[in-house]
Amino acid sequence: MNIFKSIKWRLQLWYGLILVVVLAGFGFTAYQLERGRLFGRIDDELHRRVEVLKSALHRPPPRRPEGDEPPFDPPPPGQFSDEGPPGQNPRPPREFHLPPEAAHFFDPSDPNSFYFIIQRGGKEIARSTNQPDKIVLIPIWDLMNSANTPPPRLPNSSKPSYVANFFEKNVQAAETLPSGEIIWVGCSIAPELNELRLTSLKLAAFGAIILIFGLAGGWWIVSRSLRPIVAISSAAVKISAGDLSQRINIAEAESELGQLAAVLNSTFARLEAAFAQQQQFTSDAAHELRTPVSVMLTQAQTALNRDRTASEYRETVEACQRAAQRMRRLIESLLALARLDAGQEVLKRLRFDFLKTVSECAELVKPIAEERGVKIFTRLESVGITGDSERLAQVVTNLLTNAVHYNQPDGEVCVKLESQNGMALLTVSDTGQGIAAEDWPRVFERFYRADKSRSTGGNGLGLAISKAVVEAHGGTIEVRSEENVGTTFTVRLPLA
Amino acid sequence: MRILIVEDEPDLLRSIAQALREEGYAVDAAPDGEDGFYKAENYDYDAIVLDVMLPKMDGWEILKRLRKIKKTPVLMLTARDQTRDRVKGLDTGADDYVVKPFDLSELFARLRALIRRSANKTTNVIEIGEIKIDTALRNVFLQEKSVELTAREYALVEFLALHRGEVVTRTLLYEHLFDENESSLSNLLDVHVSNVRKKLGAEFIVTRRGHGYCIE
Repeated sequence: MNIFKSIKWRLQLWYGLILVVVLAGFGFTAYQLERGRLFGRIDDELHRRVEVLKSALHRPPPRRPEGDEPPFDPPPPGQFSDEGPPGQNPRPPREFHLPPEAAHFFDPSDPNSFYFIIQRGGKEIARSTNQPDKIVLIPIWDLMNSANTPPPRLPNSSKPSYVANFFEKNVQAAETLPSGEIIWVGCSIAPELNELRLTSLKLAAFGAIILIFGLAGGWWIVSRSLRPIVAISSAAVKISAGDLSQRINIAEAESELGQLAAVLNSTFARLEAAFAQQQQFTSDAAHELRTPVSVMLTQAQTALNRDRTASEYRETVEACQRAAQRMRRLIESLLALARLDAGQEVLKRLRFDFLKTVSECAELVKPIAEERGVKIFTRLESVGITGDSERLAQVVTNLLTNAVHYNQPDGEVCVKLESQNGMALLTVSDTGQGIAAEDWPRVFERFYRADKSRSTGGNGLGLAISKAVVEAHGGTIEVRSEENVGTTFTVRLPLA
Repeated sequence: MRILIVEDEPDLLRSIAQALREEGYAVDAAPDGEDGFYKAENYDYDAIVLDVMLPKMDGWEILKRLRKIKKTPVLMLTARDQTRDRVKGLDTGADDYVVKPFDLSELFARLRALIRRSANKTTNVIEIGEIKIDTALRNVFLQEKSVELTAREYALVEFLALHRGEVVTRTLLYEHLFDENESSLSNLLDVHVSNVRKKLGAEFIVTRRGHGYCIE
């Protein structure tokens, strides 16, 4: 199975994707918040350092009074040597001593914890011993140097300006005092960066765990909700392989898939019934054909066993003819049924008087009835209907023949034709042995015989064909019977 | 050998009965279930050919009732060839099963096998001294030479041979060699016995006076 075409995998993929996006958004936000918090802490730290140095600088100078404004002068050679005129140092720098309470801020062993104070003009007042070589002071220095005036970005700023260098894990801040000094401090951000990395690792781990649990849970839910589909498809596979007795095992009848399974189950049941009916019909048809074939075979084989007289041959040929006639009638009936089933039978649509058809049929059946001592009584009204008079005549003949055949000797057959509630109503009643109530609907089934014997000569298809013809005319046929009293068949056809 | 055929299709019944008679069997015919069961109950047939679909009482019912009282071999004849029908037939007590349409030769072979099995014989050939009876060919050999017997004479020899060592009463012989339509002329049997003795030797069939005949 292609996993990109499988619903299960596609659901899982989308689900996982959405989960990843949500987790990533959540993680990014948390990371940003933590980062802001840590950077705020660094700001505070730098600020504290600047404040300590500021207050130490503003203490009244112990010996030397403050002089004039020094000329703008670059710091000592090194980083700044290319910017200012070297070697000039007209005024001694203001003296500065790191107060003891600030000592813990500037640990000499940490190269990132430094301070650097210059006067306006670039003269260095003090610097810590551990100022790193690579420290970059350029941005502010550039500004101050290029315009030869106090840089616009640092006019009496009370807030420090920051420069962070993540590669060196340090951060620097500079503040220009109103008196003109610039205080430059640095501190290490390694602990914060470590903390931040730890936080991001924690977030990643947390996210991964949630993702794993989420995917597993999603897989479980998807599998669970798709389980009926698996059941449906496995049942359908078995059914398509020919086992029509298979049904879908429905655990949750209320869910959408449960309802679908119920619908499919009832479809399967109807399919099975239809197949069984078809199989029964085929088997019955084969059965009906087998008996006449057996007759022909045994007759012919017996006759051929030895030489026979002419009359014996004649008998054999007559028996074979009877068998062949029987097969022909059966084949014609089967074909008629098959055509009616398929809707291929083209029925004529002509208006005619049903009275004429019924009385003709009654005349036709009369000789057979007289042979058996059965009397036929008719009470017929003129009724105009539309349809195929030939086909309907077959129906009437069939009903009359049955009424005669299944009658008792000296019995009666009553045929009544009238119009009632917009329908033509034909009733054929006999005084025969009757049909048990449970068999009423079955008499119209193909090959069904109430008496199980073939002795009556019919092939068990007459009533099935009659029903099909009447229904093709938009009518109905039904039977009512009382055992040992008689049977009545009622045909209703729409009036023309 | 006397056989009962129960079949509701008259043309089929007539031709099977005729063919079996020509094979030398005594044949009784029944056109419906009730008649068939009545005959099966009241005569000891050597085999019964029974159709399944019958008016009045179907083949299954006849078989079920018959099995309660008799072990007569029954060959079911039916137009249904589904396995479950065959299984049902054999389970109900049928000894064999032939599906319509069938060949007469197959039906006869199965009947011969049924009769042979019911007499506890496993082969077609019965040997009695110098005489050999081939029940498949329906032929008798004396010292490896074929002996011409009429169908009735052959039936007499076969029936006695299948009951070898038993004394078979005249009544029993009549019941198995003649069918219901033949008038039982008592000396007809003596004629057949004397003809067989002429052809196969006087000592072949022993007369037990007052009891019947016997092949020892």
